[in-house]
Amino acid sequence: MKASWIIAKRELLERIGSRSFLFMAVFGPILVLLLVYTLFAVGGNDQQKWKVLVSDQYNVLDNKIMANEDPNITYYFYNDVIEIEEFAKDERFQKFDAMVEINGKVLSNKSGFVFYREKPSMQMQINIRYQVERRLEELVAAEFTNLTVGQFRQIKQPLTLNFKNVYDPHETSADLSAWVGLFFGAVIFVFIFLFGMTILRSVAREKSNRIVEVILASVSSRSLMFGKIVGIGVSAFIQFAIWIGLIGLGLYFMRSQLFVDAYDPANAAEQMQTVSNEFVSLVYERIQFSAMLPYFFLFFVVGYLFYGAFFAALGAVSGSESDGQQFLIPLIAMLCFALYAGYSVAINPDSASSDFYAYLPFTAPIVMMVKLAQGFGPDEGAQLYLSLFVTLLFAIGMLLVAGRLYKNGLLQFGHSVRLRTIFSWIKMK
Amino acid sequence: MALDEVSLSLNSGEIFGLLGPNGAGKTTLIRIINRIVEQDSGIVRFKGDLMQQKHLASVGYLPEERGLYKSMTVEAHARFLGALRGMTRRDIDTALNYWLDKFDIQSWRKKRIEELSKGMAQKVQFLCAVLHEPELLILDEPFSGFDPVNVELVKKELIEMKMKGKTILISTHNMRSVEEICDRVALIHQSKKVLEGKVSELQEQTKTGEYAVKFRGNMVVFVNALWTGFELIDKEILGDDKFIARLKMRGGSTFEDLLKVLMGQVKIEAAWEVLPSMQDVFISTVQPETKEHES
Repeated sequence: MKASWIIAKRELLERIGSRSFLFMAVFGPILVLLLVYTLFAVGGNDQQKWKVLVSDQYNVLDNKIMANEDPNITYYFYNDVIEIEEFAKDERFQKFDAMVEINGKVLSNKSGFVFYREKPSMQMQINIRYQVERRLEELVAAEFTNLTVGQFRQIKQPLTLNFKNVYDPHETSADLSAWVGLFFGAVIFVFIFLFGMTILRSVAREKSNRIVEVILASVSSRSLMFGKIVGIGVSAFIQFAIWIGLIGLGLYFMRSQLFVDAYDPANAAEQMQTVSNEFVSLVYERIQFSAMLPYFFLFFVVGYLFYGAFFAALGAVSGSESDGQQFLIPLIAMLCFALYAGYSVAINPDSASSDFYAYLPFTAPIVMMVKLAQGFGPDEGAQLYLSLFVTLLFAIGMLLVAGRLYKNGLLQFGHSVRLRTIFSWIKMK
Repeated sequence: MALDEVSLSLNSGEIFGLLGPNGAGKTTLIRIINRIVEQDSGIVRFKGDLMQQKHLASVGYLPEERGLYKSMTVEAHARFLGALRGMTRRDIDTALNYWLDKFDIQSWRKKRIEELSKGMAQKVQFLCAVLHEPELLILDEPFSGFDPVNVELVKKELIEMKMKGKTILISTHNMRSVEEICDRVALIHQSKKVLEGKVSELQEQTKTGEYAVKFRGNMVVFVNALWTGFELIDKEILGDDKFIARLKMRGGSTFEDLLKVLMGQVKIEAAWEVLPSMQDVFISTVQPETKEHES
């Protein structure tokens, strides 16, 4: 174990001291921030002007919503039942962007639905909720209490408005959050690929310059492999931590200077100009970084161990530094398939294959990021831990297989790699 | 089969030469001793105990195909390999200073390996192999890549280590070095040990009864003096009337008889029994079998 640590330390210092590491640590976050800034900037200011149809069968709202008219939202009232299908397809309703469904018991159950054609921005959702709620509060205060609206608001029960896509009321298709999950998955993909390649090159280089024989005379091949994977993995983690830090700082700066929070009273007091759009609200309001980052880290670790073992084994069986290329193709294909699986789960979260991908060790790290962003139901949390456990088990299994290949292939030089040879090395003691 | 029933025993305070043609199995044997590869059968003992991973800290190894991390400095490299062999930071500092001073290369300490010439890198590799003062030092072709001055330097160091009670196993094709520094040798051929013993004993075993005489005088007179008791095999002309003649005894003639017949005929400068060089021992052991195979 001590030998593995010494090897890991050497690998870590070598990576951290390299120019490519510093380059990636600085320019990677800058690139991501530029991308985020571009999305924020061109994502469209939230100047949507929506026509909202209020389906109010019992005329609970008395065909009124707000005293002060919202310039961006125009409400229309319809005092009859409108089926969702009808709203979705009927020619008469096509001009409306959304429909608020007010049921007869809304004053007591305090819940309703909003069916939209295109997903409203967070600000638009807040506005609709706020305005409908205000109207309901006026009615409740006037009808059931002697309180003023202001007094009533202090003791009120908040309104629950569920926003649903009119074309997909059960929300089976991709949510924007899922794409964020896929982005996280893609970051795992990029890190695993880049640092996996570092493992492969490092092993192949040690073989080609023959230092490996000197090291093997002091430590076992397993310790060498483990130390190498851990050392490069820690450097990947440090790289990732730098990314998080710099991107976090950049996002904080953008929030405080460029895309300020419209709902922060301090900003309202200073009359700061606010810019908000779907991406801004997504990044600052909807992504639960605190929940996602720990799992990102865990899946990154198990995914890295699983793939890292593959890369290390590939480096060990290579006859020369350039020899591993041919076997790199299936490995890259596996990673690309994992990315595709993540995409597929983002598009069809409830498909049968999405569960399958969640437990497939080489797709799990990316797929679970998407699923995590989509959110788990109360009884689905176990899926997350089971997937993590399965991937960890396979990672350990892969490390054992890679250890054997490492042991038997490390001192073989100048040969051309064949599958048959690889299998014979796996079987060899 | 890379090795077949090869058994060796090395004593402390000796330099043991492992000889053999290419592909004989020397490197495999060394790797087995080092636990780099696992033998199918047989055991390796170190100071009476079965060789285990923990013993590797007492073994130094300089493989034939040497390598260093090119981006590391000499000091960082030595620290890394020293730490792998269980040395403390302080031990590494002391040993590193000792060897850098000894080789007069203190100025290389902060140099990256890629800045060093091949010969310089060889010195660093040797330094890294002996840094932890191993009880057993295994050197595969230790003199290759060194200039004659450095070959002598390394030989001197090896002899000094031997005097300190260290055991040194050298695998080499450099027979002159074997004669100069090895106490005992073993010859491996076609995976088997075919010869083992002290250098002088092996030379004695394979000598062919040849003698050499260095003299001044006339060659014809010299040959006539030999008459029927001796057979001239070869001669080397050193200059005007100066020769070295190689000959064999006939009919029970002795070295004293030879000197007697030559006295007064030529001016003898030196006379000695010709012992085969280790190169001759090597070739005479390996080649007959090759010939058999060829036939």
